[in-house]
Amino acid sequence: MSNAIKLVGLDFGTTTSSAVIAAACLVRNTVTGRTDLDDVRECHRSDMVFTPLAGDRLDENAVAALLDGWLAAGGVRPEEVFGGGALLTGLAAQKDNAAALVGLIRRRLGDALIATADDPCLESWLAFMGSAASLSRAHPDTWFLNLDVGGGTTNLALGRAGEVLRTGCLFVGARHAEVEPGTYRIVRVSRYAQALLDHLGIRKGHGDTLAEGDVAAMLDFYMTLLEGAAAGAREPFAGPVGRLHEQVAFRPPPEAMGAVVTFSGGVGELLYAHLQGKPWPPTTYYGDLGIDLAQCLAASPRWAEHLRRYQPASAGRATVYGLLRHNIEISGSTLFLPRPETLPLNDMPILGSVTAASTDADLGAALELVRRSPRGGCIRVALAAPEAATVRTLGGRIARALRALSFPATLPLVLLVRENLGKTLGHYVTEWGTLPLNLVVIDEVTVRDAQYARIGRPHHQVVPVSFYGLNEPGETP
Amino acid sequence: MKTLPPLDAILVPEPQPDEVYSARCLGRPLSFHGLKALLGAADYSKAGDRNAGLAAAGETQREAARALLSGLTLQHLHDHPLTDDEGRVDSVMRVNYDIDRAAFASVADMTLGQLKDHLLRSRGAEMQRIGRGLTGVMAAAVAKLCDVHELIYLARKITHPTKARTLLGSPGTLSSRLQPNHPTDDLRGITLLCYWGLAMGSGDALIGLNPAIDTVENVSSILHHLDRLRRRAGAPTQICVLAHVKTQLACLERGAPVEVLFQSLAGTERTNLLEFDISVDLLDRGYRTMAEKGPLRDTADQFMYFETGQGSEFSYGKHNGIDMTTTEALTYGLARRYDPFMVNNVTGFIGPETHLDGMEMVLANLQDHFMGKLLGLPMGMAPCYTLHSNITLEGQQIATQLLTAAGANYYMDVCLNTDRMLAYFDTSAHDNQTLREVQGKLPAPEFLEWGLGRGIFARDAGGAVVRGPRWGDPRQFCESDEELRELAAATPALYGFECAGPRPANAVSRQVKMNQGVGREAIHAELRVEELQRLAPFRVVETEAASKEAHLNSPDLGARLSPQDGEELTAEHRQVQVVVSDGLSAEAVHHNMPDLLPVLLDGLAGRGFSTGRPILARYGRVKLAEPLAERLQAELIVYLIGERPGGDALASRSLSAYLVYRLGDAAVQREAARFSGSPGIRFEYTVISNIYAGGLPPTEAAGVIVEKVSDILAHRAAGNRLEAVLKTAVAPA
Repeated sequence: MSNAIKLVGLDFGTTTSSAVIAAACLVRNTVTGRTDLDDVRECHRSDMVFTPLAGDRLDENAVAALLDGWLAAGGVRPEEVFGGGALLTGLAAQKDNAAALVGLIRRRLGDALIATADDPCLESWLAFMGSAASLSRAHPDTWFLNLDVGGGTTNLALGRAGEVLRTGCLFVGARHAEVEPGTYRIVRVSRYAQALLDHLGIRKGHGDTLAEGDVAAMLDFYMTLLEGAAAGAREPFAGPVGRLHEQVAFRPPPEAMGAVVTFSGGVGELLYAHLQGKPWPPTTYYGDLGIDLAQCLAASPRWAEHLRRYQPASAGRATVYGLLRHNIEISGSTLFLPRPETLPLNDMPILGSVTAASTDADLGAALELVRRSPRGGCIRVALAAPEAATVRTLGGRIARALRALSFPATLPLVLLVRENLGKTLGHYVTEWGTLPLNLVVIDEVTVRDAQYARIGRPHHQVVPVSFYGLNEPGETP
Repeated sequence: MKTLPPLDAILVPEPQPDEVYSARCLGRPLSFHGLKALLGAADYSKAGDRNAGLAAAGETQREAARALLSGLTLQHLHDHPLTDDEGRVDSVMRVNYDIDRAAFASVADMTLGQLKDHLLRSRGAEMQRIGRGLTGVMAAAVAKLCDVHELIYLARKITHPTKARTLLGSPGTLSSRLQPNHPTDDLRGITLLCYWGLAMGSGDALIGLNPAIDTVENVSSILHHLDRLRRRAGAPTQICVLAHVKTQLACLERGAPVEVLFQSLAGTERTNLLEFDISVDLLDRGYRTMAEKGPLRDTADQFMYFETGQGSEFSYGKHNGIDMTTTEALTYGLARRYDPFMVNNVTGFIGPETHLDGMEMVLANLQDHFMGKLLGLPMGMAPCYTLHSNITLEGQQIATQLLTAAGANYYMDVCLNTDRMLAYFDTSAHDNQTLREVQGKLPAPEFLEWGLGRGIFARDAGGAVVRGPRWGDPRQFCESDEELRELAAATPALYGFECAGPRPANAVSRQVKMNQGVGREAIHAELRVEELQRLAPFRVVETEAASKEAHLNSPDLGARLSPQDGEELTAEHRQVQVVVSDGLSAEAVHHNMPDLLPVLLDGLAGRGFSTGRPILARYGRVKLAEPLAERLQAELIVYLIGERPGGDALASRSLSAYLVYRLGDAAVQREAARFSGSPGIRFEYTVISNIYAGGLPPTEAAGVIVEKVSDILAHRAAGNRLEAVLKTAVAPA
């Protein structure tokens, strides 16, 4: 069996879409038994293309053709894909047929990928991981705030030592006002930009040219939102237009004030290219306000020092890199999986958390939620210490709760554990094989605060686990 | 390409009955029955020869043997080929007789004493000419007559450069083989170790990795990775993954860059065949394949690489009654057939059963180096040790200073002396640079140029080569600080890159030595029986090892039950018997049992297996499972035993679980015999290793063991046969 695998990351944003296809190895640590992704090498990086639109809809045929082209260029067949993801982000996620497109991608690429639209906290997290995670780990005592400024949205993520702690999302981006390249003649404005123009008293629409002052006023508004959000200020979002532009409020903790700011996304890419000495592209070269926004960011005295000192990775493709390298957790290799044919399990809801301190009532309630879910579900298990006595006791209590509920023998029940004790916990929960259950215990995964998990097929005794539908902090079920 | 004469075309005299060699010393009669006994007694006293009953009883006997040996002619040695236990001339001995007949004729009438004096009086070229006419036994006999100065002086006169991308072993050079071993073959860790080694001017002989997993796929992938690293660094050297020769040939077949073909060799056919799974035919095929298809076939003059070391034949019990120095020289006679690019001697690797202390290791290394050079081999040396011997870092360092004076071609670069995969201690890049500076040596010329170009080396005002501004800086090969940090994070036993001159900074050395200290203590700790009996109602059994020292120095003793326990244990006919033993780390038992044992006993009971009362065996070795299974008539022994500590302090608490399946059923035994090709097979083994807090945690290990026990008993198979059965069971129809 090969330990070489392929990963695919697809990002369909408001303005642009891109793909990265990578080859990697699953390498088993013979000491710890951990298997990790290693030697991740890019085998194909697509050009950034305009997201194909047909009127107000995503052009499904064009997307299908793009997908086929990317896979062919990357030399990968759909059945070879071990994991990765496809994201519809920003305004693309708000198109009427976004859900249909997700379905199309899933059909094309089988069930190895997570495919999701409009998952702003996941996008923020991914952009941070793809852009600033490495810097953040190198400076573990410094807070980093990554702003992924794309065509439609700005995804904020704050983290320290490589871990994201807060996320947020604003409808601030390059492409709310589309213009004819080389001019400021309006082609189209988004409903957000329309509200902003109304708010600013600018009565202009299709075919009109934005005056210098109009552009400046719009950018000034965007900068107020970005700088305000980064500083944790609420005032910019108090009025109706400000509120409209806030998809997920960003609430940094007081100790993170003064975090180092990095940028990613298409606008971030323009910004860092300029900082490295490249000339700005010609006026509205891309047919939107992205260049103007990047120039405002470059001129902001608030962030000048950060921009000079810290250079994040893969700015323009941060999200897609995040998808590739960070969104797949590899399970431990001693997971409890007596029925491997149960996998893969897609869209498994994460329905609760239990700890050694949970009461029997709590245990029963969490398991009852799974019992009522038609496709079964996941429960997070947190054990303070991986000692035999703890595992034995908790496993025995879960077993008794399952018996009390007459838990169906075929319904998938997935326990997600951070420590390396999946097999032993599974044995105690099934009472060493005497309690009939369709139980999977996945260990050694960092269980993210998400609504869904996708658990892939086993490969070399490990399984890939991805999380999506990330909760905002404090929203854990 | 060298022509390889067929074995049956090599002329070997008929074996003779043993002669008795007698002498008197101050009226005391001393005699030696046969050449093997004489050769054994003439050597310095070393643990392996003592354990084999071959070492002299004392100084007088040794000197008498040396005097007798000095009087024998080379023709006498030629006419008395040493035989195997069946009285046969084996294939290794036969290859040793593939000598330059004219060269032999010119010295055949000399006694060994005369030959030694002649060599001392000769120049290098004459020594090399004579060497081509000698068998391994003859070279070993001369070595036994030499003192330390002579072993160094003689070896120093011989140079034998070999050439692949770099020219190795020319006068005034000292090269190194970068050995970036990683316990998990983690490519990031391997990369870091390569970068740091190259930055210290190491790796001009070879970048050669011992793989943790010897599969075609893994080895190919590491070969490709090393090739990428070498190209990225631009370093003129060659790469190798030291897998079994069959694996490497399969990799070459698939297009992997097998630039140099490696194999471990021993000095008896039985060791090679039964332990290393190689034959002269296989080696011949490997040599011819490399000459025809190897990627360096048009660049290199040589492309074979052999690893040897005193004592492997004895430690496998397949030494044919021949002493360690002589079997080592016979190994060289075999290696010589393939005109290798490198030979690497790792005497000291096995443990106290072959070399007890620093003195034994140093002397053996000097002997090996001299014999190899005399027999025409490009000798690299790896004086090394394990923590359960009495050899220390200081003894190893003394060996390298002496061997450098003797003209060793190269040493290993094992980062900070600590092999992260093989749990032993070898020379480092710091050591290599120190030796170059102390003894005025340079790297291989092509590599030196590369190092000068990169600023790893520089020339001072007088033109002498010194450490350059980028010496020791692995960052120079990385794209960013983050990359270096990520690579370092994947590398165990790394305590910082800081150096003081060519040495590691003191803080770094302190950490390395502290870890060795912790490991040594774990080995010498005694089992705390009462504490363990609080976990389970253990019955305690003893082995033939009466003390910790006997246990460490003679592995055989711990594999046998004490006569009393052997009698007292009777057939119980249980399915599973749990046995716990200290092995080489009682601390591993103390730290893992509290979490492992309760879960294991729960699981065995939960699965409904019949079990015997657990056994605690003091001073046990793995093979003790076999007599226990026989006495108790248990189907399966779950044998939990402490592993040999390596360089990581935490890992000195590492435990293994050996699941030893007794092939008591005739039909099952037949199936196992067919599968293994070994008709007399009585047991099959499945191993679960690295059980400790930093590896497989004990709580989880117990669950894994119970599942494996269920598989073994359900399928009536263990080891590779079980894995094959399980694979068939899940394979799609």
